[in-house]
Amino acid sequence: MNDVLVGRSLTKRFGRTVALDGVDIAVRTAEAVAIMGPSGSGKSTLLHCLAGVTGPDSGEVHLLGRRVDTMRERARSALRRTRFGFVFQFGQLLPELPAEENVALPLMLGGVPRRQAVRQAREWFGPLGLAGMETRRPGELSGGQAQRVAIARALVTEPAVVFADEPTGALDQTTGHETMRLLTEATRHNGACLIVVTHDPGVAAWCDRTVEVRDGRLLTGGMAA
Amino acid sequence: MNLDLTWRLLRGGGPRGLLGTWLTLGAVAVSTMLLLFAVTANFAFQARADRAAWRNPVPAAEGRAVAVEADRFDYVRDMVITVVDLAALGPDAPAPPGLARFPAPGEVWLSPALAELVRSLPADQLANRFTTPAAGVLGEQALVHSEELVAVVGHEPGSPEMTAERGGAPNAGRSPVKVADLSGERSRDSGVYQVLALIASVLMVVPLLVFGGAAARLTVARRDQRLAALRLVGATPGQVVRMTVAEAVVVAFAGALAGTAGYALAVPLLTRVRIGGGPWFAADLWPGPPVLAAVLVSVPLLVGLSAVVGLRRVVVGPLGVAKRETPPALRFLRVLALLAVLAVFPLLSLDVHLGVIAVALALAFLGVNLAGPWVVAVIGRITAGSARTPARLLAGRRLVDDPRSAWRTVSGVAMTGFVAGFIGLLSPGTFTGEATPGLLSVTVTEGRPSAVAERARERLGEAGLAATVRHSGKLVTVTLAGPADPAAVDRGRTALAGLVPGRTPTTGADDEQAGVQLLADVGVGTVVVLSVSFLVAIASAGITAASSILDRRQTYALLCLAGTPLEVLDRARRAETLIPLTVMGGGAIAAGAFCAAPFMIGPPGVNGAITLLTCVAIGFAGVVGAGALSRPLLRSVTADPAPRPD
Repeated sequence: MNDVLVGRSLTKRFGRTVALDGVDIAVRTAEAVAIMGPSGSGKSTLLHCLAGVTGPDSGEVHLLGRRVDTMRERARSALRRTRFGFVFQFGQLLPELPAEENVALPLMLGGVPRRQAVRQAREWFGPLGLAGMETRRPGELSGGQAQRVAIARALVTEPAVVFADEPTGALDQTTGHETMRLLTEATRHNGACLIVVTHDPGVAAWCDRTVEVRDGRLLTGGMAA
Repeated sequence: MNLDLTWRLLRGGGPRGLLGTWLTLGAVAVSTMLLLFAVTANFAFQARADRAAWRNPVPAAEGRAVAVEADRFDYVRDMVITVVDLAALGPDAPAPPGLARFPAPGEVWLSPALAELVRSLPADQLANRFTTPAAGVLGEQALVHSEELVAVVGHEPGSPEMTAERGGAPNAGRSPVKVADLSGERSRDSGVYQVLALIASVLMVVPLLVFGGAAARLTVARRDQRLAALRLVGATPGQVVRMTVAEAVVVAFAGALAGTAGYALAVPLLTRVRIGGGPWFAADLWPGPPVLAAVLVSVPLLVGLSAVVGLRRVVVGPLGVAKRETPPALRFLRVLALLAVLAVFPLLSLDVHLGVIAVALALAFLGVNLAGPWVVAVIGRITAGSARTPARLLAGRRLVDDPRSAWRTVSGVAMTGFVAGFIGLLSPGTFTGEATPGLLSVTVTEGRPSAVAERARERLGEAGLAATVRHSGKLVTVTLAGPADPAAVDRGRTALAGLVPGRTPTTGADDEQAGVQLLADVGVGTVVVLSVSFLVAIASAGITAASSILDRRQTYALLCLAGTPLEVLDRARRAETLIPLTVMGGGAIAAGAFCAAPFMIGPPGVNGAITLLTCVAIGFAGVVGAGALSRPLLRSVTADPAPRPD
């Protein structure tokens, strides 16, 4: 299998604090990787650097062989919109839009006509156990349902990589496990790789590989075996 | 305990929380400043009317007269001089306001501005009309404004000036009246100005109240999540209400104080707004202690009340805000209320009591404000239903989600549209009188016109002025030879002064002067009202745009993080404002024009149309500009790579 996303010698500082200290990481096609570590260890910073949200101070990020970290913000933004998907802990759904339009939004941003975008979005509701909830607003969904809508939104553009930052942080254990099952299955089924930031070993257990971060360094598993 | 916690929440809100507090404070300050202006303007006109009242004599009861009073209007250049003729009937005649004593026969007292003019112009153009040197200078108590030209002339009771009727023409002055004192009563003309001031105040105060309410809800919008959390952990509705009111009232009181200070600083500038031919005395525009106290108490109370209303959803159910449920649909009853008020207007006319008109106008204004959110929700549904781009979809859904908030953004301009529509239709065209330059005329009341014409020829000859004098019926006309420049006309006026007792030779332009002045004053008033409305509207648009970003900062940041271009969010914000603005602005202008229709005194002039168009243009530009100002804020909240709820 080929490496889809590669980070080499990534270093990032915030003032005197070293958030990343020469991190090397590679993620392969359809692989699910958990990034674990205590608070302040640098795991979110690593996710942001890999996703092109923030640029590293030094080092390189490559997506399918294309250098990401040297791109201009506009290009990185377009890359995040088209090649990456994101699932956050909460607050990512627009409260004004019904669930189906939340999912359709990335497609519309990419130029897909509204009718077609909504039709494509609806196709995700059945497999994710959301049938019948298409027109509900986020405030009318449970936490688990809202996360599944977020998963649909992350996958609807058929991205190469899905980044999930504490995706079950706001859910109870049962709902969290169910969400992780759906997330890993859906990304794998889509041929996308998944990078999950978590401090929950239960969540990490759903992934193929776990990367341990401490004080900005990787303790284990930066590269696939 | 509540106050302590409230104070901690206020101080611990972080930079963005404090920004919201500052925005509220600023909004309340602007509201207070403009409210003080709107209220004080009425008192200022009253003060002017009171100072001029002594010149509007009340006939004395039989046997109680102490003096005879009359007045007439003279002119110099394009300015009017009020000449008050007084004669004492005995030793008990009191000193008129602004004079040290009752003027003796032959004495002249001049207002400071007239005294200055007498000094600066050649004597044959002005000074020779009066006995000089003047006996004294009139004090402020005798004057409407500091630049007013007034002469008080003392006479014997039997002199022709104190017995001659002035005639019925509007600019002829008041015929001699025996008076028991010199307090007089407010004149009808000053009443017209007070009515216009009251209408202007209503037009300014209603948007201010809406704006103040929006400012109060800004505090709540920032706090509702936190207060909902407090409810979830067991705070009672009473505690939540008390904390919110305490915070809103504290911030509003600080804002009201700042606004009062701002108003005090603005007074010197406001005195320069010329109405009635001159500027204002600063004391006229400074509110008395009762007004000041009322504003300083009522503004924080109103803001507190508005905060309570805004918090209703949190108090009623703690999950209401925390879960962002679909808001209940607005009722069509709101539109019916507006239609009911509008239906009353065709029944009104200028003959209806002023209070009824003012109340109807205020109700129509509030009706527009009530119907606004309902219409915005309908617009939102249409926009969302027909949207093809993400920006329009977002805009439409947001309008449906919170039409009240969207209305708050555009309400200011819509209200201004109402004002502009109302005034635009009320502004009559300009005077079209065809005055012949250099033609002075005077009506002869007693004696033969031919003899008066002969005397006029003699006087003009003595003054070295070439002129043709004619008489027709009771009218004697003087046509000055050569170029009729203002100096020559004033030389003519001066030569003819006192030709007919109690009468002044006037030009056609002089006769139209009062009407032209009223029209100019309506124009100035319109500009003032529209300026205030625009200030409110644009400040309101800016503040709501900023608060809207603050409210949605986490979602905006996450959307940007997921690759949504900032321009899409910005376009959505713009559409969210511009779509309702277009519909509501147009609707409000139509409603304003509809309400003004029963009071039209002539066909609307070009000025009205220009005012309307300018209003629309400035309104759009202002709101778009105010929204654009919050773009850096949008950029800053979306720059956060790891957004977390506060």
